Amino acid sequence: MTPTVSASGLSLRYGGTHALDDVSLRLTQGVTGLLGPNGAGKTTLLRVLATAVPADRGAFTAFGHDPATAAGRQEVRRRLGYLPQTPGFHPDFTAFEFVDYVAVLKELTDRGARHREVRRVLDEVDLGDVRGKRIKKLSGGMRQRVALAAALVGDPGFLVLDEPTVGLDPEQRMRFRELIAQAGEGRTVLLSTHQTEDVAMLCHRVLVMAGGRIRFDGTPPELTARAAGRVWSSTERDPGAKAGWRTGTGSFRNVGDPPDGADLLEPTLEDGYLLTLDGAEVAA
Amino acid sequence: MSTVLQEAPTAQRTNRTGGAWAAVYALALFEARRLLTRIPMLLALAAYLAWIVWRTPGFEDGSPALQDADRNTQSGPLLIGLAVLLCANAAVLRSKRRDTERHFAVLVLEPWRRTAAHLLSVVPAALLAAVCVAGQFGWAALQSGSVGSGSPAELMVGPLTVLLSGAAGVLIARLIPSTLTAPMAIVLLFFFLLFFAGTVPAGDGERGLRWLVPVVTESTTNALPSDLIGRPAAWHALYLAGLALTLALLAVLAGGGRAWTLWGAVAGALALALTGGIAQTAALPATLTAARERATHTPEKDQTCVRRGGSTYCAFPEWTPRTDTWAGAVDHIKSLAGGTAHDRQFLVRQRIDATYGLAGDAAIETSTTPYQVTVGTAWGGNRVPEFSAAVAAVLVAGSEQKTNALCDGRMVTVMWLALSWQPDPMQSLRNVRLDDSVTGSAIVLSTTDPMQMTAGQTDVVRELLQKPHGSVAARVKAHWAELTAPKVTSAQAAELLGVAAPKGADKCGE
Repeated sequence: MTPTVSASGLSLRYGGTHALDDVSLRLTQGVTGLLGPNGAGKTTLLRVLATAVPADRGAFTAFGHDPATAAGRQEVRRRLGYLPQTPGFHPDFTAFEFVDYVAVLKELTDRGARHREVRRVLDEVDLGDVRGKRIKKLSGGMRQRVALAAALVGDPGFLVLDEPTVGLDPEQRMRFRELIAQAGEGRTVLLSTHQTEDVAMLCHRVLVMAGGRIRFDGTPPELTARAAGRVWSSTERDPGAKAGWRTGTGSFRNVGDPPDGADLLEPTLEDGYLLTLDGAEVAA
Repeated sequence: MSTVLQEAPTAQRTNRTGGAWAAVYALALFEARRLLTRIPMLLALAAYLAWIVWRTPGFEDGSPALQDADRNTQSGPLLIGLAVLLCANAAVLRSKRRDTERHFAVLVLEPWRRTAAHLLSVVPAALLAAVCVAGQFGWAALQSGSVGSGSPAELMVGPLTVLLSGAAGVLIARLIPSTLTAPMAIVLLFFFLLFFAGTVPAGDGERGLRWLVPVVTESTTNALPSDLIGRPAAWHALYLAGLALTLALLAVLAGGGRAWTLWGAVAGALALALTGGIAQTAALPATLTAARERATHTPEKDQTCVRRGGSTYCAFPEWTPRTDTWAGAVDHIKSLAGGTAHDRQFLVRQRIDATYGLAGDAAIETSTTPYQVTVGTAWGGNRVPEFSAAVAAVLVAGSEQKTNALCDGRMVTVMWLALSWQPDPMQSLRNVRLDDSVTGSAIVLSTTDPMQMTAGQTDVVRELLQKPHGSVAARVKAHWAELTAPKVTSAQAAELLGVAAPKGADKCGE
């Protein structure tokens, strides 16, 4: 599939720290998950791709436009929807006013068409009934959906979502996953998250970052497959395991290199992610 | 970064029309709607409208000189200006305060265009101020007896002040992104103006550095012909417009605008502000000073005279529509006189002291010319009984200078002639006296030098004004010679007019 976003050799340093270190990627339509621990460089990568900060080195294009030029940056922004990690709100605005304001900043200037679009996205995120309510009176989950609506307004082709499900309760998280899945239809979505369940449920592709570098680029089953034969159960925590934790049944689930005769378990995406991170730390 | 060429799909599903500037206007409309509905703005508007309503009856009691009415529209919009400064400042800082800047920074409309939208958003507030100014001035112009003409430049000062305040609010927000800065700037500005007013060199009293503040007020109500006012209103409007434009363009620069045309525009706006600023502080032209001297000392050279009912009325051109009103007062008074006095021919001449322009408030000297009466530039309200008192006094005494000697019973006749035909004679008596009372002795205001009433004369006049007008009028006509004879006492006058005589001798200054 032809990539909508293509980056090569992106690097960015903050002082002596490599926030991004020679990152190359190609994003196509559908939801791509971006996993990584805190400080891995996920948010920095998202901010570079959202044109919030330029990279020190490397290049990327979105829809064939190069954001290194002012004109190219504007073209990328015209096709971009961005949901920051902790989106700010104007609490005195109604949900409608806030999304309408963002729509104006996205150059949707025809008032009638813009208002129809704002109503459409608010309906899409299931906020049609509360669009006249002030944001300060909305719950945290509703506010997050307002932010998603703001990202979706103008029907952008490239959606950058930075940990959108953080702080949501399980029910809200499930609702949000549905919305992201819908948003991924016909769009390129890059979803940064700590939740491997999000990736397992939503993403056709997953990137794992650590130390400012991409450590894995493949499908969720491929990431899961990395842990095949490397997850086992034991009555005590295995000191040779890379990671291990007590499960609800009282036994320990270990990840790493199993001893001979170990009671092997079916691997999950999280197991593959943990093993990838462990490898990354070794490599770093 | 180098460019990576890729064949890629071009996602753009929602039509965008009009481009960046259309978005700027759309954002300006959005922000303007919010700005006009902020609480400080609504409070300021309510206070402004209340101020207009409160001020309106004060237009010299219904007969305004429009060259003063235009200037009277300037202070009220300062309230709107302060509110606009605060609200526009808060609107610019909203994104930073609410942490939406990280998000909005990656949206299509660049920060400098958003700054431009915030600047445009204050224009409707300025237009609203312009509507209020037009309403206030229009109301004055529609008053019966309004004379003269307003200056468009003076009328523009209020709306321009609102624009200037809005531009200052946006610029402050762009330079110092703190919500405390704008309120502190207002406090500092207040103290600066307070001290500035007292420390600037006086210059010639009318021009000079005092014109650097947005609204330059005058402490006098002394109306002058338009061409003698000498306020550099057009230069001041240019100065305010240039200043507002300069601050606005600097705000756009501070917002990230970098086009060379922008720098050129800043230079042009600054040139406008400097041109207006310097020109308005320049000394008065010699021709104006000469014209003021001529109007003060030889007004007949500039005046138009008309004859009404045997008398002549000479006024500066802008006041000629008022001569019929003056003639009405004179004819009323003459009709009440006895003997040959009702055929007396007056010369009513408008006289002013324009030497120091609007800053001057010197009393006009009494005329020595027989049967010449001075009339001022103000009319309506208290000015009507004051003029009537002057006419009656000249009719009885012979000239303005001789009215100083009206310390005897003639004062009773003068006051009855002046007041008895007024719609509310007792209220007019109160109005024409300096102490606003109808008992005791008092100074009686007149167009030139004031006169005096003793307590006894006041009692007699009060009683006469309460009697049927016809019966007193008949006695006045019948005893005209005795009533207007020098040295007639108030007791004699009272007796002749059929009311109780006061006790004691007439003694002015009692």
